[in-house]
Amino acid sequence: MSRESENTLLLLIGLATGMITITGAFTRYVKPALMPWLYVTAAVLIGLALAAMIDDVRRRANHEGHQGHSHANLVTWLLLLPVVVLIFITPPALLPQASVPSVRTVPTEALRRPFAPLPAGRAPEVPIPSVMLRAAQDSAGTLNDRLITVVGFTVHDGDAVGLGRLVVMCCAADAQLAQVHLGGALAAEARRYPEYTWLRAEGIVQPGPANGDSSVIPTLEVAALAEIEPPEDAYA
Amino acid sequence: MRIDPVWVVAAVVAAFALLGTTLRSVVYESVELSTAATVFAGIFVQALPFLALGVTLSALLAIVVTPDRLARWLPRRPSAAVLTAAVSGAALPGCECGSVPLARRQFRDGVLGSAALTFMLAAPAINPIVVVSTAVAFPGQPLMVVARVAASLLTAVVMGLAWLRWGRTEWITRRLPPVCAEQGPRWRMFVEAARHDFLVASSYLVIGAAAAAALHVLVPKWVFERLSGQLLLGVLVMAVLAVVLALCSEGDAFVAAGLTMVPLVPRLVFLVVGPAIDIKLFAMQAGMFGRAFAVRFAPATFVVATAMGTIVGLVVLGSGW
Repeated sequence: MSRESENTLLLLIGLATGMITITGAFTRYVKPALMPWLYVTAAVLIGLALAAMIDDVRRRANHEGHQGHSHANLVTWLLLLPVVVLIFITPPALLPQASVPSVRTVPTEALRRPFAPLPAGRAPEVPIPSVMLRAAQDSAGTLNDRLITVVGFTVHDGDAVGLGRLVVMCCAADAQLAQVHLGGALAAEARRYPEYTWLRAEGIVQPGPANGDSSVIPTLEVAALAEIEPPEDAYA
Repeated sequence: MRIDPVWVVAAVVAAFALLGTTLRSVVYESVELSTAATVFAGIFVQALPFLALGVTLSALLAIVVTPDRLARWLPRRPSAAVLTAAVSGAALPGCECGSVPLARRQFRDGVLGSAALTFMLAAPAINPIVVVSTAVAFPGQPLMVVARVAASLLTAVVMGLAWLRWGRTEWITRRLPPVCAEQGPRWRMFVEAARHDFLVASSYLVIGAAAAAALHVLVPKWVFERLSGQLLLGVLVMAVLAVVLALCSEGDAFVAAGLTMVPLVPRLVFLVVGPAIDIKLFAMQAGMFGRAFAVRFAPATFVVATAMGTIVGLVVLGSGW
């Protein structure tokens, strides 16, 4: 592979990184917190590629012997794959079927402790992983008799129907599913939606054992239900 | 007439741009394909910042730190040098992808070589970010953190000493373009070293990430559920899974914490093996050091890491499994 094509590929990888960061598509693959680092990475790669290109052109113009015979090999062509995947395919956010081990997310070995109170308001939105944690470990009982709003996609779990969110710790490779079951009269309505429909549900979490075992999936007594657009950041 | 390869790149990119919509709908319509593509993109994009950090640091070091300078900093006695390298791994925060090019740049014959390899194995497992994320993933179980750090340090030191005893420099068939031979200003040395290391490491990362993405789709979920109460089988399966899934060392603790049906010791083995060797690291080692090196070093690392994880786990976590 020639130096010119190596530099072009380097430039393309840098551009692809910058592109998915600007469009926001990167949140399908990694944590949103990585954003500044992705910009830095794109800048470093584009900078390296441009510096090498300009240097080559200048050296050729000055008739300095072209030092830059290629040291890399054919494998370098594989860099076309991420360029194609990121720029042209831009794969979607993971579907719930993809999560590594199914069903639950939070560690069970956690200690019971008082949690901070929920935000004020009639029905504050609480992320599903937080609902699971609070239901299992909260000694202050912040969920008791409190109307909350939960946003997630429908998950058909045997006879039960639940709302789920994928949780990503580092990148899409470690995604896990967090979910709450839906209970009450409106649960039947939720079951009529096909799997992976995004819903917003208002309701009260049924008091569970709260014994620190978060492998128990909490149940939300649904008071109101609405279909919504998929959120921009698919992961919780 | 010779065709300029840049035009080949341009033609290929243009072809994909035209085919883009078709390709996209093929991937989007299949759950397996889109999952594999997303996992591939996840591993690759996640690794990029760390790779960029790694090659930038290593190119800077290559200019500033000459071999004799490094030799002066490290203790004379080989075992002390290896130990120093292992502990100084704590200073490079991040995932494992950055440490492979860094170790390759600093690799020399003899003691410096084993110090570089020790550093490569230790850095991704014991740096502050990984320690903190392990503590967060296993709340109320500080012993898990202690065991992980201890077993990873031991693995790195044992592998470093083993390299000193049995390692052969002729296995390292991949030669770096020597930095000092490049004439010209320092910024040119920096650009040449950084772009070379990035191109090699990232193209092998593509192989590793693609293999991991394929296996993600292929490993059935019931594997995790059949392991309760079976120590040996659990250890083996979790060690292999660590290689196959190729998770980054900052996130793997959360996955291990979630696998509550698996006993603690196998989960510790998962956390010790993963940062030391997995499918993407194997590909990157083959690219930066050479295949003869990778086919010896990677399996040895796998065995040592699995053994250390099990022994330390049984001693520290004890009956907890």
